[in-house]
Parts: sequence; structure tokens; C-alpha cells
Amino acid sequence: MLDGLQMLGTSYLSFLNFWSLSYGLGGAFIGILVGCMPGLSATLCIALLTTLTIKMAPNDAILILICAYVGTLYGGSRSAILLNIPGTAANAASCADGYALALQGQAGRAIGIATSGAFTGTLFGVICLAMFTPSLAEIALSFGAFEFFWLALFGVAMSGSIVGEDPIKGWLMGCLGLLIAQIGQEGLYAYNRFTFGWDEMSGGISLIPALIGAFGFAEVLTTLADPIERKIIEMRDSVLPRFREVAQYWRTVFRSGVIGVVTGILPGIGEDSGAWMSYAAAKAVSPEREKFGKGSIDGLMAAETGDMSAIPGGIIPALALGIPGSAPAAVLMAAMIIHGIQPGPMLMIKTPQFVYDVVAMTTIATFSILLFGLFMVRPLLLVLRVKRTVLMPIIFVLCTVGAFAISSRLFDVYCMIIIGIGAFFLRRRGYEMAPFVLGLVLGELLDKSLRRGLVLSDGSLEPFFVRPICTALALVTLFTMLMYIPAVNERFTQGWQSFKAMFSRKSS
Amino acid sequence: MIEDTQEALDASAQAAHERKISPRGDLIQSLVWIAVGLATLVESLQMDRLENQDINPYTVPGLLPGCLGIAIVVFGLLMVYRSISRHALAPQVEKPMTPAIRHELNRMWTILFLCIGFSCGLVGHGLPFWLAAAMFITVTIGVLQFDQLKKNNTVRRGLFMAAVIGLCAGVTIMLVFQEFFLVRLP
Repeated sequence: MLDGLQMLGTSYLSFLNFWSLSYGLGGAFIGILVGCMPGLSATLCIALLTTLTIKMAPNDAILILICAYVGTLYGGSRSAILLNIPGTAANAASCADGYALALQGQAGRAIGIATSGAFTGTLFGVICLAMFTPSLAEIALSFGAFEFFWLALFGVAMSGSIVGEDPIKGWLMGCLGLLIAQIGQEGLYAYNRFTFGWDEMSGGISLIPALIGAFGFAEVLTTLADPIERKIIEMRDSVLPRFREVAQYWRTVFRSGVIGVVTGILPGIGEDSGAWMSYAAAKAVSPEREKFGKGSIDGLMAAETGDMSAIPGGIIPALALGIPGSAPAAVLMAAMIIHGIQPGPMLMIKTPQFVYDVVAMTTIATFSILLFGLFMVRPLLLVLRVKRTVLMPIIFVLCTVGAFAISSRLFDVYCMIIIGIGAFFLRRRGYEMAPFVLGLVLGELLDKSLRRGLVLSDGSLEPFFVRPICTALALVTLFTMLMYIPAVNERFTQGWQSFKAMFSRKSS
Repeated sequence: MIEDTQEALDASAQAAHERKISPRGDLIQSLVWIAVGLATLVESLQMDRLENQDINPYTVPGLLPGCLGIAIVVFGLLMVYRSISRHALAPQVEKPMTPAIRHELNRMWTILFLCIGFSCGLVGHGLPFWLAAAMFITVTIGVLQFDQLKKNNTVRRGLFMAAVIGLCAGVTIMLVFQEFFLVRLP
């Protein structure tokens, strides 16, 4: 423990210099600007900044990316409050109460509460990141091929089940992501799969161009195709929150922080689930339940705290297991790999200092959003006035640059276009991108783990089900998927009701 | 552009919701998914098993792709069953296309054409990147804002501003990426 504290102290001291703080503030600033603009996600922001920072030193690049990640999700609350459109999907839960407060002439107060919730939520998440990452990495050292197989499958299945309204469509997108990850030379024998004779396909579909297509190009098409130009509500009151107003909701902050970190740790769930679950939990226990959706401070605080605490939560499994907790965490992981850092159980063995560096970076990001959130509100809001017919073509040019810059191949640009068009039409039909992203990221791990596991067990499937962690993961995965089948769900609910009734009869 | 009224927002949300949950749409999509799954399975079975390299038979390259093909077929069949139980095969009432939906579709195809034209036609085919980007941004802004500019009788000024924005954006992106951050551009 003392070693950990020492490394944490070293990390904080190493970032207390002009350039590091400038990079951090710059990253957060860009993130907030991107987050303010509806339709532009944290995934796209981090993907584009990855290409911009590709020549920088690893720690500087990752610092900018983490600060941009935190800034984007925080910035999304601005458009949620002033436009009733979430800047990112994770801010959707802030729309109802934030916008209602803005309509009541309290837009500044809403932004102040959102800032407080975001700051405390992220700080709580940072503490959990420092405490749990080393422990989880130590547990993961005992994982073998069988465990990683189920972890990867669990992540994709869970993401498909929970994200979006239709689990079948979610699982199909997960399978599609896994399938696309198989294109190119496979990892064991360098055999070309699904290349159809094209040499350029041997390298597979790169993650960053694919994500830029799914989250960048698809959003450009969606935003520009929408003919309605929304009006911004003017902000007339102060954004500085009263300390008493924030302190009285300490229970909400703590509860939402825990929920956010837990949902962030679960692979593929994402920050939006953290926000909604925190919101639902706050509403369930609030004495002012009827105010939710009509300008509840409690609701807005819960949504923002849950959303932001999920960011460090999503980074925990990315660092400790090499399995991202969300789509932006997946891009962050890809950026780490590009800069020569290999996330996973061996990270705490080979470069333990890096884990604490990430804690320090996330802390810088937290204070950056507080600074910008309280003292730079009005200038940052100017970006909301830029017409999307001007902004979106520029964003598309940046998407083209971003797709090209990683490997200097036009093939990546074409992949970005094709995946972007596919993502646009699929989203219009109710298919979510988060399971697709997770499938893309975890496809190689799933493939190698399955084949290695079968070699170790000499073709037997038994070890995949009898090892303790495998059993637990398999049961949770199968149970989650089965519960989304209505007939099974009904039978289970009836059985559970009968079981409860049996005990209540016995006690009476 | 359409006015930001509650009626317009509700109509847009309703149209988006109907697109997502249409049983007939789901039925057609599920047939496509089944075709993709079967194609994946066939391709996986045809993959070389590398017997001449004496590899372990449990590590054949087509193992996971084959499993994924089967999974996609299974999920596709579940969707077929669900669509049919939601009366996907029943006669559908054709809804008339509203001006808003027609406007949205026209914009969508226009933007697609412009974006594909830029990334596949202009980029990487001899033109300097900053010039290709400037042309794309100028034309896109001009096309998307043309109706509004015509309504306000400011077409010339609007197109001039679009050209200025396009040029500034193209040059700035080139300078920032290529000169400042040393990232190679197409």
C-alpha cells in the first residue's frame, strides 16, 4: 500500500509543471467544446485527438485524451440544459430536469448544479480508480484463456442486452462487431480471413477509422439530415452554486457515485446507463419524487454525478483487464496501445507507475472542468450558436483526416465511409453502436482465448464451464440473455412471486 | 429549415420511433441478417484448415467466424418469429410522405453524395488537401443554406461567406495537423 501511495505522489508531482497543466486544460477545453455540440460524442473526440497527438510523448498524449474525455461528457450537459438535446448520449438523463430549470429562468443554476455533480462524481470515480485498479489487476493475473473468453463474451452480451431498447438488435450488432474484427490476418497462423484476395484487407479494419465512421460520419449525416434548427435558451442567472445547495444532496452524490463506478466497470455498459440508473435510484428514494422531470435539483445532480463517475469506472477494467468499460474507454485503450502501453493484467507488473499517472491525469481533468465550468461558461456557450451547416462539414473533413492519419492509408478513409453509412442507416432502424464497438475491440481476444482454451483442454468444453470464475461469468451471461426473452422472463417473474409469497405465508 | 415548434419536434420523434419499431422493417432486416449469417458460415467452412501445417484441429481459422455465423442466423430467426408475431405479414397502410420527411430524405442523399464525393473523389487524387477541404466545405455550406439564403435574398453574400469559411478551415486544418502536430495529410 505504501508503494502505491508513493507512486501516486510521484505521479501527481510529475504533472505539476507548466506544459502538463497546459495540455490538461487544453484537452478539457476542446472536450467541453465538442461535448457542447449535439451529435459529437466523446468517442469521436478521443479518436480525432488520438490522430492529432500521435507524435507526442505517451504521457502528454494520454493526458490530453483523458481530459478531453472528461470535458466532452461534462460539456454535453450544456446543450442538454439549454437546448434540450444531450450533447452526448450520456447527458440524456440531464435533459428533463436541466431543460425544465432553464425554462423557469434558472439555466445558470442548472449549469452550476451540473458542474458540482460532475466534479464530485469524477473525483469519487478517481478515488475508486486508484483503489480498485491494482486489486483487480492482481485478481486478473490468475485469469487464463477460459476466463478471458467468458469476459469478452460477457462484455458483448451485456452491452447488447442493456444498451438500447431491443436486445436482439444489440446482440446482432455485437456479433457484427466481432465478425468485422475477424477480417484480416488472424493472430495464430497469419491466415487471411474474409480478405477476398485484397492485400489491403490483410491488415484488418483498424479500430480508430471504424469508430470515426460509426460515431463521426454517422453523426454528421444524422445531424445534417435533421431539418429542425433548435433555439437556445438565454442564460440570465449566475452559475456559481451555493455550497449549502450542493451539500444537502450528499447522499445523492454518494449513491450516484457508487452506481456510476459500478456501471462503468461493467464492460460495454457506458456512462449513459450510469446516468439513468443513478437518476432512477434518486427518484425512487426522493421525498420530492413528483418534481423529477420538472426541474428537480436532486435529479439533475444524480444524473450528472452518475454519468461522470462512470468515466473512471470505465477506465478501471480497461487498465486492469484490457477490456474497456465503454466506447470512449475503448478508444482510449487503442490510443494507449498506439503509444506503446499495453493495458491488461501485466500493466501492474511491467509499468505500475502508469496506472497512478492515469489517476493523476483524471484528477487534472476533474479540476479543469470545475475551472471552466464555473468561470468560462458564457464564452464556451458561443459554440452553440455556430450553425451546424457550417460546423458539420468541418467535422467531416476532420473525420477524413483522422481516419487517414493513423496509418496513412486511403483504405482507412474508405472503411470510415462504409462503416459510417452502415451505422447511419442501422441507427435509424434502432441498432445501437456500443455493442458493435465492443465486438470490434474484443473480437481478437475472444478468438485467441477460444482457440487457446480448446488446445489446453484438448477440445473439451468442460473447463469453460467448471472453473469458478468461468461458471460465474457464464451463468450471468446466459441469465441476462435469457431474461430478455419474454416467455422466460414471465416464467421467472411468476416463480419469483410464488417464492416470495411462500415466505410471507410462512411468516404470517 | 423547419421551425422549432413542439409540433415539428413531436412529428420528427414519432417518425423516428416508427422507423425503429416497424415489424415489416424488422422482418426484411432479419432476412438480410440470416443471409449474412449463412454467408459467413459457408465462408468459414470453406476456409483452409491448414492440415499441411499440422496445426491443432481446435485452432482452425474458421472456428469463431463459423460460430458467429450460426449466432447471427439464430438471432435473425428470432427476429423473424418476433416480426411475424407482431403482424409483419398483415397488409400495411401506406402513410403519405410529409414535406418534412421528403425534406429530410433529400438532405440526407445530398449530404451523402457530397461526403462521398469529397473523400473518394477529391482526397488523395492529386489535389492539395487544403484545397479539396476548402472546396468541399464551401459547396456543402452553400448547398445546405441555399434555400435560406434565397429566402433572405442574401445568396451572393452567403456564398462568399461560405467560400471564406471553407478556405480558412481548409488552411487551418492543414497547418494545425501537418505543420504543428506533424501529422501527414492525404
